[in-house]
Amino acid sequence: MELSDANLQTLTEYLKKTLDPDPAIRRPAEKFLESVEGNQNYPLLLLTLLEKSQDNVIKVCASVTFKNYIKRNWRIVEDEPNKICEADRVAIKANIVHLMLSSPEQIQKQLSDAISIIGREDFPQKWPDLLTEMVNRFQSGDFHVINGVLRTAHSLFKRYRHEFKSNELWTEIKLVLDAFALPLTNLFKATIELCSTHANDASALRILFSSLILISKLFYSLNFQDLPEFFEDNMETWMNNFHTLLTLDNKLLQTDDEEEAGLLELLKSQICDNAALYAQKYDEEFQRYLPRFVRAIWNLLITTGQEVKYDLLVSNAIQFLASVCERPHYKNLFEDQNTLTSICEKVIVPNMEFRAADEEAFEDNSEEYIRRDLEGSDIDTRRRAACDLVRGLCKFFEGPVTGIFSGYVNSMLQEYAKNPSVNWKHKDAAIYLVTSLASKAQTQKHGITQANELVNLTEFFVNHILPDLKSANVNEFPVLKADGIKYIMIFRNQVPKEQLLVSVPLLINYLQAESIVVHTYAAHALERLFTMKGPNHATLFTAAEIAPFVEILLTNLFKALTLPGSSENEYIMKAIMRSFSLLQEAIIPYIPTLITQLTQKLLAVSKNPSKPHFNHYMFEAICLSIRITCKANPAAVVNFEEALFLVFTEILQNDVQEFIPYVFQVMSLLLETHKNDIPSSYMALFPHLLQPVLWERTGNIPALVRLLQAFLERGSNTIASAAADKIPGLLGVFQKLIASKANDHQGFYLLNSIIEHMPPESVDQYRKQIFILLFQRLQNSKTTKFIKSFLVFINLYCIKYGALALQEIFDGIQPKMFGMVLEKIIIPEIQKVSGNVEKKICAVGITKLLTECPPMMDTEYTKLWTPLLQSLIGLFELPEDDSIPDEEHFIDIEDTPGYQTAFSQLAFAGKKEHDPVGQMVTNPKIHLAQSLHKLSTACPGRVPSMVSTSLNAEALQYLQGYLQAASVTLL
Amino acid sequence: MSSEAPEDRMRKFKYRGKDASMIRQHRIAVNVQLRKAKKDEQVLKRRNITNLCSHSASGEETKGVKLTLEEIISGVNASDPIICFQATQAARKMLSREKNPPLKRVVEAGLIPKLVEFLTSSLHPCLQFEAAWALTNIASGTSDQTRAVVEGGAVKPLVELLSSPNLIVCEQAVWALGNIAGDGAEFRDSVISSNAIPHLLALISSTTPITFLRNITWTLSNLCRNKNPYPCKKAVEQMLPVLSQLLQHQDNEVLSDTCWALSYLTESCIERIGQVVDMGVLPRLVQLMTSSELNILTPSLRTVGNIVTGSDHQTQLAIEAGILSVLPQLLLYPKSSIQKEAAWTLSNVAAGPQQHIQQLIDCNVLPPVLALLKNGEFKAQKEALWVVANFTNGGTVRQLIHLAYSGVLEPLVNLLTIPDAKFVVIILDIISFLLQAAEKLSKKECLCLLIEEPGGVDRIKILQFHENPHVALTAMNIIEKYFSEEEDSGPILQSLD
Repeated sequence: MELSDANLQTLTEYLKKTLDPDPAIRRPAEKFLESVEGNQNYPLLLLTLLEKSQDNVIKVCASVTFKNYIKRNWRIVEDEPNKICEADRVAIKANIVHLMLSSPEQIQKQLSDAISIIGREDFPQKWPDLLTEMVNRFQSGDFHVINGVLRTAHSLFKRYRHEFKSNELWTEIKLVLDAFALPLTNLFKATIELCSTHANDASALRILFSSLILISKLFYSLNFQDLPEFFEDNMETWMNNFHTLLTLDNKLLQTDDEEEAGLLELLKSQICDNAALYAQKYDEEFQRYLPRFVRAIWNLLITTGQEVKYDLLVSNAIQFLASVCERPHYKNLFEDQNTLTSICEKVIVPNMEFRAADEEAFEDNSEEYIRRDLEGSDIDTRRRAACDLVRGLCKFFEGPVTGIFSGYVNSMLQEYAKNPSVNWKHKDAAIYLVTSLASKAQTQKHGITQANELVNLTEFFVNHILPDLKSANVNEFPVLKADGIKYIMIFRNQVPKEQLLVSVPLLINYLQAESIVVHTYAAHALERLFTMKGPNHATLFTAAEIAPFVEILLTNLFKALTLPGSSENEYIMKAIMRSFSLLQEAIIPYIPTLITQLTQKLLAVSKNPSKPHFNHYMFEAICLSIRITCKANPAAVVNFEEALFLVFTEILQNDVQEFIPYVFQVMSLLLETHKNDIPSSYMALFPHLLQPVLWERTGNIPALVRLLQAFLERGSNTIASAAADKIPGLLGVFQKLIASKANDHQGFYLLNSIIEHMPPESVDQYRKQIFILLFQRLQNSKTTKFIKSFLVFINLYCIKYGALALQEIFDGIQPKMFGMVLEKIIIPEIQKVSGNVEKKICAVGITKLLTECPPMMDTEYTKLWTPLLQSLIGLFELPEDDSIPDEEHFIDIEDTPGYQTAFSQLAFAGKKEHDPVGQMVTNPKIHLAQSLHKLSTACPGRVPSMVSTSLNAEALQYLQGYLQAASVTLL
Repeated sequence: MSSEAPEDRMRKFKYRGKDASMIRQHRIAVNVQLRKAKKDEQVLKRRNITNLCSHSASGEETKGVKLTLEEIISGVNASDPIICFQATQAARKMLSREKNPPLKRVVEAGLIPKLVEFLTSSLHPCLQFEAAWALTNIASGTSDQTRAVVEGGAVKPLVELLSSPNLIVCEQAVWALGNIAGDGAEFRDSVISSNAIPHLLALISSTTPITFLRNITWTLSNLCRNKNPYPCKKAVEQMLPVLSQLLQHQDNEVLSDTCWALSYLTESCIERIGQVVDMGVLPRLVQLMTSSELNILTPSLRTVGNIVTGSDHQTQLAIEAGILSVLPQLLLYPKSSIQKEAAWTLSNVAAGPQQHIQQLIDCNVLPPVLALLKNGEFKAQKEALWVVANFTNGGTVRQLIHLAYSGVLEPLVNLLTIPDAKFVVIILDIISFLLQAAEKLSKKECLCLLIEEPGGVDRIKILQFHENPHVALTAMNIIEKYFSEEEDSGPILQSLD
């Protein structure tokens, strides 16, 4: 591609088309550009256009296209062709800084981004003059240019804030410091001087303050990794000026906007960050400046208004104070009673007030409000910062702070009492203050776990929370109602049980409140209360205690789902699930209605599943209904099938991916509930379950395996007789699963069920092939997980088909293979098997090999007999070997499917641990002793001699213990 | 510089049991530093600016004689030894003035060869003395100026002066050699290969005046100093017996420089550490760590810190000498650089076998370590964090649980906001290790609580969005594995069946 007018023209045409709203025009143009971008000069053509085109739209479009081109192509990936020719690279680097600086802002931003992408790859080695070029522009005096340079520098250097320390990184930073630190400092000083000369010129000030913000950000990046010598030597200059800037105000820079932070706020906020960085990392050097900054920041807080635009500044500033006040050597800055009072009164209390913006969120954006308030995503809010400051101050001054606030709380409550409808916000602040003062440690599961002993929480509850909650009107003062409910929720471990029990009917009542926040909190509080633990690991509340409210509880919960805005409210659904789980049999009378409502909900949300948590709890609730009902009356399973299968079929037919794993789990649960042979409705589904397409989605695999296992458990005979032609398909699934490192254990689950349940003759012809597949995988990629599963499988096989059959199948594949398996796998690796049932299977299997396998007694395998016994005793007595070879550490990460497709296991669809050995053997050690005894009676003299000659002393002692316990001797 | 902040040592962290020897932290020489060089290290070179000439051997006080550099140049070239002496003395005085000594001009004037020549005029000890002093001060300058002295051939005659019957001449030669050796490994080895050590050692006796002894000790310490390469084995063997004797001395300066010498020797390798430890110096070093003198405490602590970077056996000897009863106090020392070094030393004990970790528990070292982790200055906090990191990396399940119940989680969680991605990952790894251990003893729920109470879960959740992908992934793994929502349905399920 030449740099010709014709090419510029063509490019212009295509760029124009990429802006067309009609995809039929836009797409081909985008395709075309992509197809020519590999040509030499393409980027230079774009640069020419963005500089010289007459059409402003084309200029911008060219700059965006250029940036994206750089983003896609600049990096040279090893083993891949270089996508931009060297000449173009050189030309771009030679021109781009100048171009960026002389372009209007919109284009400057794009080019600045492009420079930082190039810089990330080439700077400093392959772009040595970049720094000098940038620094030289500082002299220009043109702040449009200077800000361009600063912005680019910021995007180049900001990675110093999060990258790991390394010699390479530090070499680069050193280089940058050598070239950049002094000019930046001079620029900083000069800019500040200019600010005073132009103190009356608003537009000049705006530009200068933008520079100061960028300079302060650069300061942060350059000082992040360690304190550079230069900045240590020039700390005076920087800190004095930062301090001055913190205290500076200029009416011309104040903005009218209430929401958006202005330049002054942004600058001060960054300076707070810089001071916090120094206070935290370079305390020794910064110490003498710190008291001044504490005072300045505190004054700043006192004088800053309530508007949203100050939020970031205020929360940064408070966090700074919070981090300083808990350090022992700065304690003295705060300990004066007047100081404390002033901080409490002027910094903490005002920032805890419920503001108009909070009220708006409460009403119109309740989901966000709940997330911030309940789930701790309120990190950047003023309230949270103020709360952290209270906690910080309480470290050293718990008594005085509690004292100061008690006075406040009382006066605020009095204000409220005078005129609740006007002054309700005072009460809100009082509750918030009590909460932050009292809570020293908090968890989701338990609420507050450590409380300030100076605050009487129960008294406050009885006097100020309960009365509000008892009010007849559930919709009055919704914010206070939410506060009250939240109080119960978080102090549930501090408030006595009787009081909580009094609250339960009140909370049930609030499920009907119109406010989304209020009924959500009510549901959440109930759910939390029902999860609480009492003595003996039982729940704190018994079903009997809640029984009086069952009907109203269930009714209100389901009614809450019909309130506007809450049709898929996860807190309500979780409360439904938890209520079922707590109430158990008490819900049976209501099941017909409940299941109808749940199925309707399921049908509705399956059209467009959007709330994963809601959906999850809904399926859990369905599982609970099934379990609870069928435990009392297994025949009722049919009713559930009738209610659910129609919706399930629809979900399967419409391929609602999010729900399919859930459906399979519920079906497994239903199928396992059947006591007799498998119903034909399930058998009709069986062939469909083997379709490869279902198995391609990782999220389906555990649920499908689970379902197939249920089929094998309940319907192996039916499968063998009526669907024998499907057995190869079943084994195909097994083959696919064991080929994958991530899913091989699922393959073994399936295989073990086949071995355990299928009539032997139905799988006879496939057995050898199964073993061959397993060996191939062992040879190709042996992992610890695979070995563990393999060991369990062969031992299960041994139990099921006999020891001789196991030996024969190995040696049938290749002579002497059985010996190799014993020597190379079973003996050395058996210690790795984990899980009680798994260990039991292996113990019984190995016992069979030792005592029921003639070739072990009189062939070359005999020499392995004692080592095998030794390893079995090891399995009984030694700690499990949970070491994992180094190269396997990252398997989980590499092979684990992406986050979205992760399987969501339903706790209440869970199956009980299945023990295929079962009652056949209860104590494997005794079983070993008895089996050895039996063997020794068959060939007297041999067993004791094998045992005594080569078993080590410790193992021998254990063995004698087993024999004694079984009261047998070896003959 | 000879000793960088002990921060970026090789550490084995993620892969348990891969290479136990890698876990020890060494000060790495080729480290890029952004910080100012350390201020509390021993001086490399010293200029002699004290006015010693009042009791000068010459007897002829030449006060008032002030010559210009040109006059000095012609003076030293005169044949009259008295003129030579006057010129040399004038040069020495110039070089000894407190402010702006003209080192550069004197070197450029080409005076060095003459000064070196005067070192050999054994008939004129005063001249030898003045020349040695002048050279001492030139050698105290920049590396180039020291080089000029060495390349002027000064080393050999200076070593010869060590046998001078004139004590003052001899002492000045010791000083000059100290400055030359202090420049770096290259000139240190020139001094060593000129056979200076036996002569230096011969000067030490019970009657050696204390100021002289201090000078000799300082010069010896410079002969032990610097790396790439470290001083040869033979030189070390020659010096060590004397150094270990000097370690018993009562004079603070002698002790300080002796300890510095030992700290340099123990910086190098396990073999050198072995040589030092074999002299039986450990009990005395531990005693010196309790010294009220910072200039003794600093190098003795440094030496012990170096020793425990050695083999498990060497660390064991240090433990037997009682370091674990002294170090906890040093963690509370008012100066944070001492806290830091003490924590660094403990971090290497924690990097050892499980018996050593048990010693940390038994000697009650954890409480002050955790106090430092909580309230220390950042540099000291980082070292305390390494103690915890190495402890969790090598400890048994029970030792880990002990740590968890000693209150480590609150300070760890607080540190999750530190502005340093690497340390955030280390903390997250520690938390995972503790969780894994707790899981094995079925104490997971309890540990999760200890993490959540001080706000740990919130912080880890936020870290999932950290810009550093490694931090984000580590945080995500912890949340997914230990703190995902579904966890809490477990116990209820049990009550079902």
